[in-house]
Amino acid sequence: MSAALAPTRCFPDLELPDHTGRPRRLSEVAGGDPLVLLASRGWWCPKEQRYLRSLLFFQDELEVAYARLAVLSVDPPEVQAAFRAGLGARFTFLSDADRRYLDVLGLRETTDTVHHPYRPAAFSLYPDLTVHAAYNGYWYLGRPTVEELRQDLRAIAMRLRPDRELAG
Amino acid sequence: MRTGSSRVAWDGAMLARGLDARGRRLRADPRCFVGERVAGAWAHVCALADEDAALPFDDPLVQQARRDALAWWIPMLGPSLVCMTTLAVDSVHYGGAITVARDPSRFRDDPFARVFPGTVVRTDLFADVPPPAGPVIERMAGVAWPGGAFATTR
Repeated sequence: MSAALAPTRCFPDLELPDHTGRPRRLSEVAGGDPLVLLASRGWWCPKEQRYLRSLLFFQDELEVAYARLAVLSVDPPEVQAAFRAGLGARFTFLSDADRRYLDVLGLRETTDTVHHPYRPAAFSLYPDLTVHAAYNGYWYLGRPTVEELRQDLRAIAMRLRPDRELAG
Repeated sequence: MRTGSSRVAWDGAMLARGLDARGRRLRADPRCFVGERVAGAWAHVCALADEDAALPFDDPLVQQARRDALAWWIPMLGPSLVCMTTLAVDSVHYGGAITVARDPSRFRDDPFARVFPGTVVRTDLFADVPPPAGPVIERMAGVAWPGGAFATTR
């Protein structure tokens, strides 16, 4: 994983269209909440399909947990929209079809010299996009489990929410 | 009602804001009234003028409408969407929702119309607001969803 995306570093505030084609900033997607950002090869990869399906149960928790989830890939918005709908996802997909950030983030998949997708990676981010944890998902088992993401988000939330302890 | 508030008045046929606005007062996402207004937009008001027409925000029917908004309603509207907001009666109760778009042709599919029936009106009241990123459907400190955010210490 690039040292620029290591814990305590600030993740770039990406400016990309979402799955509807609407321009978005990553900080806007975070919206003041902890954010899990997943760099993904794309809809066609069986590993991505399996991993994102495994996160659908987690989105049911996040919808009441004030935490966000977003996917970054080189798929065009219309392809992302179809993939997202097929999955049943209710989180945002960001489209880098122009490969603007592949090298900025150091996440170019060097073993696919035809499609130039993202190398799978996951980042747990504070709302200001400071990196809490980074995972290299090139090998499937390098990706964070739901429990690891839950622990990351708990740690971030404990730092963020001043009212985390009940008043005595 | 202060012009700078997040309140909107609905009398069953017309949306209005301002001190002399008539109709039922409901709180919207305050971002809908910030910035340049979109002239000649269409609002689908899924609310009733009857003061008793309210459900808890936590009612499964209201929760599912929010999920559906994230899953397919917002993508279906695409670039036509101006903004959307639920309407809060108080810190607990949902009084309806408004979807504002440049083209009203999709309003028949509005998931919020399952809760309270929709009425289409022409409006110049609303500004463009980025749609909610999802998957959060909970409200922030009583602000009408999808508005609001927690203050953070970082």
